[in-house]
Amino acid sequence: MSVAVRARGVYKTYTDGDRRVPVLRGIDMDVAAGESVAIMGPSGSGKSTLLHLLGGLDRPDSPQEEETSLIEIGGQILGHHSERELAEFRNRTLGFIFQFHQLLPDFTALENVMIPGRIAGQDPREVYDQAKRLLAEVGLEDRLEHFPNQLSGGERQRVALSRALALEPPLLLADEPTGNLDPASGERVLEILLDLQARRGTTVLLVTHNPEIAGRCGRILQLESGVLHADRR
Amino acid sequence: MPKAPSQLLLRPWPLPVLLALRYLRSTRKDAYVSFLSTVAAAGIAVGVAALVLVLAALSGLHERLLGQILATTPQIEITLPASADPQEALLAVEGVDGISQAQRVLKGQGWVVYEGVPEAIQLVGFEGSLPPSFPGEGTRGAGLYVPRSLADRWLAEVGSKVQVVSPRPSLSPLGPRPRVRTVLLEGVFESSPVETFQRAALPLDMAEALLGREGRVIQASSSDAEEAVAVVPALQEVLPEGARVQTWKDLNRSLYFVLRLEKTLLFVAVGLIVVVAALALVVGLALVISSKRSEIGMLGAMGVSAPRLRSIFLWLGLSLSTLGLAAGCAIGALAAWLFDRFELLVVPGQVMFVDYIPFRVHAGDIWMVCGATAILVALCSLYAGHRAATLKPVEALRR
Repeated sequence: MSVAVRARGVYKTYTDGDRRVPVLRGIDMDVAAGESVAIMGPSGSGKSTLLHLLGGLDRPDSPQEEETSLIEIGGQILGHHSERELAEFRNRTLGFIFQFHQLLPDFTALENVMIPGRIAGQDPREVYDQAKRLLAEVGLEDRLEHFPNQLSGGERQRVALSRALALEPPLLLADEPTGNLDPASGERVLEILLDLQARRGTTVLLVTHNPEIAGRCGRILQLESGVLHADRR
Repeated sequence: MPKAPSQLLLRPWPLPVLLALRYLRSTRKDAYVSFLSTVAAAGIAVGVAALVLVLAALSGLHERLLGQILATTPQIEITLPASADPQEALLAVEGVDGISQAQRVLKGQGWVVYEGVPEAIQLVGFEGSLPPSFPGEGTRGAGLYVPRSLADRWLAEVGSKVQVVSPRPSLSPLGPRPRVRTVLLEGVFESSPVETFQRAALPLDMAEALLGREGRVIQASSSDAEEAVAVVPALQEVLPEGARVQTWKDLNRSLYFVLRLEKTLLFVAVGLIVVVAALALVVGLALVISSKRSEIGMLGAMGVSAPRLRSIFLWLGLSLSTLGLAAGCAIGALAAWLFDRFELLVVPGQVMFVDYIPFRVHAGDIWMVCGATAILVALCSLYAGHRAATLKPVEALRR
């Protein structure tokens, strides 16, 4: 099986005034294509930071002498990319879901799902049809023309999921996707997410602090003191 | 069929334009942003209207001034070298396509004296009928012509005896004596209040005798002033080497320079109003950006590159100011038309060369105002957009 995500010696330190706060202290991880992996850890352990680095939203610390630091997604080494190439990489290769839906409030559900396709420069009509199909798949075919403020929390997150999958990315990065939802809605979103993952073979990296949710993934990694450990309960 | 909103993203326009159009709609809902963008648009409208009005007043005045100057300036003046035969050159000039009239003249300084009162004047000897640069009515045959203003001051009439005196003396047994001819006044012509010196016209042979040299200047004209400029290359081909061809533009070069300088300086000074308004636009856009921080972060996460993020706010700035720009042009043009039509700005005619300020709105001026405003707004919007583009998605997404 080809490797979808490979990270070696990833460090990230934040500076808070004069204080240096090391968050990630040498992450090594391998995720195979099609796998679903949960990343767990107490809050503040750097789960989101790791996800941002893997998603090319932030850059890791430069490696110290004689050390190698590497993030490779689907064969592309992120450190080699310029900002513009990173933007294109994010558009084509990744889907993001965050704890807060991050939908664009001025655009309807359908339009929100159309935006990744329009960013990629695809034909508007095809993008439109694809967005409609995706929203139907998550059970929102009668909410196409609703604006985010007219949708419930669960519905918003389902729109966000459709948007993340709009360009059928090989890798989905989910940061506490159900963290802001009531249990029933969260369950529904998670079900859809894992169902789509299984059917499409999308690789999923899911950050959560909820063991129940993590248990639904194929594999669990624990992030503690800036280092990843395997965890198989 | 889908309802209206989602149709926007179906349009084949660039994504930044579509996003800007939707944001334009949402800015109206935000009280602060809509207030600031209204202030900015109103400021741009005032500035643009002022620019259009000022440029129209200057165009009107300049046109009037140039019209008066052109009426008393030959369209084309050719100075022949000493070796050339003036008669031959005249025939060659008359044969050029686009030349409607040409005649030989001789210019020199002298005096005209009426009842013992001398008046220093430029003498212009002409062949045939009175040249077009001496505007007036009635028969325009050979004879002496003086400006109407001078004749009025003298209380002279057509047929009065006037002496023409040349500074070039003739030697007589009693010593050098000025050359004097006594002639009957043939007519008067309208002089322009902006002329720098007075002129008198008299027959060429008399001028040659008085000034003691041959007329080596040819004055020519075309159907219109622009045509006269266009015909110059053709003229230079038929004229002998060393001939100097000057058009009305060359003859009034310094005046043109001053007029253009005046227009440029006023354009810059009044344009500062638009600059101030554009700064209000920057504030408005900055407010939009700060309220859309996390959205901008999400767009970045979805792969919108920094230049495209910048151009969203470029388009938003341009569309926010379009209404102001259009309103400014309309108000300015309407005010200019009213001022001109009803002669609202009256000035003393004895002091100025006009009785009221004429306004002329030129398409070129409007384009210049619109272009300059658009460039300024674009720069300000790009500056605001730059802040959005340099926002890191991670920082923008963090709550």
